[in-house]
Amino acid sequence: MKRNGIWVLAVVVVLVSGFSFTVAAEEGVTDTEIHIGQWGPQTGPAAPWGSVARGTAAFFKMINDAGGIHGRKIVYHMFDDGYNPAKTMAGVKELQEGVGIFAWASGVGTAPGMAVRDYLMERKVPWVGAASGSHHWITPPEKYQFATYPLYYNEAMALCRYAIKTLGSKKIAMAYQNDGYGKNGVEGAENELKKHGLELVAKVPVESKDTDLKSHVMKMKKAGADTVLLWVNPTHGITIMGTAKAMQFEPQWMSVSTLSDFPLMYKISKGLWEGVITGSFADLPDSETPLMKKYKQAYEKYAAKEERWGIFYYAGFGFIEPMVEALNLSGRDLTRERFVKEMEGIKNFKGIMGTLNFKPFDPNDPSSRLGTNEVFLIKCLADGKYEKLTDWMTVD
Amino acid sequence: MIDFLQMIVNGIAVGSSYALMGLAMVIIYKTSEVPNFAQGEMALVTTYFTFMLLHTFGLTMANAFISALVFSFFLGCLLEFTVLRRAKEPNILGMIVITIGLEMVLLGFVSWKFGADPKVMPFPISPYDSVSIGDVFISSLELLTLVVALFLMIVLFLFFKFSKLGMAMKATQQNNTAARLMGISTNRMNMMTWGISSLVGCTAGLLIAPVTMQPYMMWDPLLKGFAAAVMGGMTSLPGAVFGAYILGITENLFGGYVSIEFKSVVAFMIIIFVLCIKPSGLFARHYVKKV
Repeated sequence: MKRNGIWVLAVVVVLVSGFSFTVAAEEGVTDTEIHIGQWGPQTGPAAPWGSVARGTAAFFKMINDAGGIHGRKIVYHMFDDGYNPAKTMAGVKELQEGVGIFAWASGVGTAPGMAVRDYLMERKVPWVGAASGSHHWITPPEKYQFATYPLYYNEAMALCRYAIKTLGSKKIAMAYQNDGYGKNGVEGAENELKKHGLELVAKVPVESKDTDLKSHVMKMKKAGADTVLLWVNPTHGITIMGTAKAMQFEPQWMSVSTLSDFPLMYKISKGLWEGVITGSFADLPDSETPLMKKYKQAYEKYAAKEERWGIFYYAGFGFIEPMVEALNLSGRDLTRERFVKEMEGIKNFKGIMGTLNFKPFDPNDPSSRLGTNEVFLIKCLADGKYEKLTDWMTVD
Repeated sequence: MIDFLQMIVNGIAVGSSYALMGLAMVIIYKTSEVPNFAQGEMALVTTYFTFMLLHTFGLTMANAFISALVFSFFLGCLLEFTVLRRAKEPNILGMIVITIGLEMVLLGFVSWKFGADPKVMPFPISPYDSVSIGDVFISSLELLTLVVALFLMIVLFLFFKFSKLGMAMKATQQNNTAARLMGISTNRMNMMTWGISSLVGCTAGLLIAPVTMQPYMMWDPLLKGFAAAVMGGMTSLPGAVFGAYILGITENLFGGYVSIEFKSVVAFMIIIFVLCIKPSGLFARHYVKKV
């Protein structure tokens, strides 16, 4: 009996000490590990963007092999949500409440991100670098969310300005995905056109499940558009261009940075993508900057054999560069509050994306949580090669 | 007027791929009364198989496409033999669930084996070339699909109407026990049906792949093909084809004149409407089974 009592006491002591330890430590951080999560479509129609999450995996492996962050290794939890917001929510909840994630990195898609935003913000879990340029990430700004992707709104403005001023476009039409992603682009385009006394000659919504887009193309052709902006997914982009070509409608095509993986787009469109102008949020794949060379070495070392060095792969590095910076600056005493404070202190940070700046949290200032709005414009050449049309710029 | 004609042509063009999938579904339904939801993914597996023959094994296009048709036939037979036939005390609902399960397994297999990135399927005709009649355009590939769909419809119609094998297949559906008593090997008939259906589905896959080739490419044609088959009457081959054209044309006219947002939904509104006024479909003969 006495022996049993000692055992019970021992168990209670272990449980209590374990419990008190859990309470004291920050969720997702141990003496030796930092747990970071990310979702990304590895299957489904948005799978071409799934390389973002795989890029981040290589980035973290590179950091871990170099000794980690202040003696802690990053444990990276990535899951496939198939670009399905319900799956994103289920996966995030499972990891957050099952494993305990310190912070979330990137994550492809406006709709998947919107599904988990409130959940993460209510739990005060930091989320850095959503892989989407939606203004939802900063309206209203949230203390624990940091956007690093330039807004679609501004990108659409930059493209329209270029079309009008440099290409002399008079009639601009737009095909957009009928959700936050597409509508952000429409708002930006309409705003810029208004400044020039113009408006979209055709505004055609594309549902994500649509496959036959002939009516959409007919509308734009009928409107006599000389330039068409595509704010859709890669498959829809190619279907629209292919249908237009078959209908002998060949305007100047422009598109958003999410369709700027030219080697891929050129290949799957069988060369149709040549001549398309898009925005870009990061340095180009053949860039020779020391940082890009370093990332490319990580890609060569850690990426799977069939992985391609494309813009979305290394975007998995770029979107969360400031996150790694803030983790480093937080030192050994890593808490979420400290991490947020270090994020807010980031000024004139230059990685492979535009120059990043954050500010102390101001609920009335969306820019306090938008790191950059810089983009530059590029054009697809033969074989999916890139031509840089402008320097980094911010269009307001 | 040109716009109207273009919309009609667009509807016929897109209706052809629905028609092929509708035909494939009707063939199985005619013999087993099971709508096969794995139809699209069976075509997907064959299409990726063809892609592999072309890329990995370097076959010529002609050889690869012929091999694909043979492969698709055996794939259909194999699935019927190894999966469907194993169902204990099969009822229609159980069989439908099995086909849905098969659909997921095949889709998962393709995603795992080939990855989710879009692929480029070589094809003798460019999907971006078109033929014009006055100011009305139709892409060459869609014209080919139209011809193939009509050709297959006629061949299958004649096959079921006049060939011994076709009639045996029909007999299997109408009264399985009686067919067996008349000396028909109903198991073999079911297997053949799956093989032929898979072959027809495969042609749809091969004609869709040059435009877009990724693991989800068959989902929409399957749904629309099913919608067309229901509209035309699930047991009527010409019904499935004309149902598909009516669907394609209605979708395009609706998209052009009413609302582009609800264009894809119109297929399902039509199904509800048809099922309300003529439950057996527009082209099928209505018959009531005696208990």
